[in-house]
Amino acid sequence: MESTMTRRSLEEMAAQRDRAGSLWLVQAFSGLFLVIILGLHMIAHHFVVEGGLRDYQQVLDYVANPLVFGVEVLFVILATVHALLGVRAIALDTRPSVGAIRVINWALAVVGAVTIAYGLWLAVSLQRLAG
Amino acid sequence: MADVQPTTDPVRPKRPLNAWFNPRGRSINTIAFALNRLTAIGLTVYLFLHLAILSLLLRGEESWNSFIAIARTPWFLMLDVVLLFGVVYHMFNGIRVALVGMGVANYRQKTLFYVLVGIALVLFAVGAVLIFTK
Repeated sequence: MESTMTRRSLEEMAAQRDRAGSLWLVQAFSGLFLVIILGLHMIAHHFVVEGGLRDYQQVLDYVANPLVFGVEVLFVILATVHALLGVRAIALDTRPSVGAIRVINWALAVVGAVTIAYGLWLAVSLQRLAG
Repeated sequence: MADVQPTTDPVRPKRPLNAWFNPRGRSINTIAFALNRLTAIGLTVYLFLHLAILSLLLRGEESWNSFIAIARTPWFLMLDVVLLFGVVYHMFNGIRVALVGMGVANYRQKTLFYVLVGIALVLFAVGAVLIFTK
């Protein structure tokens, strides 16, 4: 055992396990919040409006409401975090090397940051359009 | 370090991704897990697609309203129904996964699965009807 697993590698594995546990909790809680927010999002956008979807003016009127704006921003953040943690879990299931895991983590962090930044910019732009 | 895999688990299949698509001899829990991941991939792709489509709003009224006209066609509504299935299944199976992962109802996983996915299917049926009739 000592010949293949050094004390350091065991500590690294323990740290990875702790980190995986924390990320699992983040994914679980973001998922539970998403159940509420996504439920509201789908009802508000697809089941309340006559015709199923909001037209241009209806969308602008909708996002002009500060409460809706806040909920939509929260939705973008939670959905992105939850989705990319899920992608990471699937990627780790393919048994990547330690180096590949590092690349996956960085790539997902960049994709996540860009997605959230774009979502926030879009939400702010739409609210400005709504006047 | 060569023989130490970061995701090493002696009970995990050697080709876990292939195992998702092989339902032979699998328990309902494994099939639920595979379906949860397949819907997760679909929903992740949809998240990015959704943001791209919302960008049409910035191009003005005509651009958005012409997309809405396409989105109200029966073929497009069928895609909405597929999306709705992915959402409700992932949502309710996800509740089960989170509860079991936190140590709640560990010994009643199957019952929890049937109850929650049952609720999901009822909501899916109601939602699918609403998509075509609203």
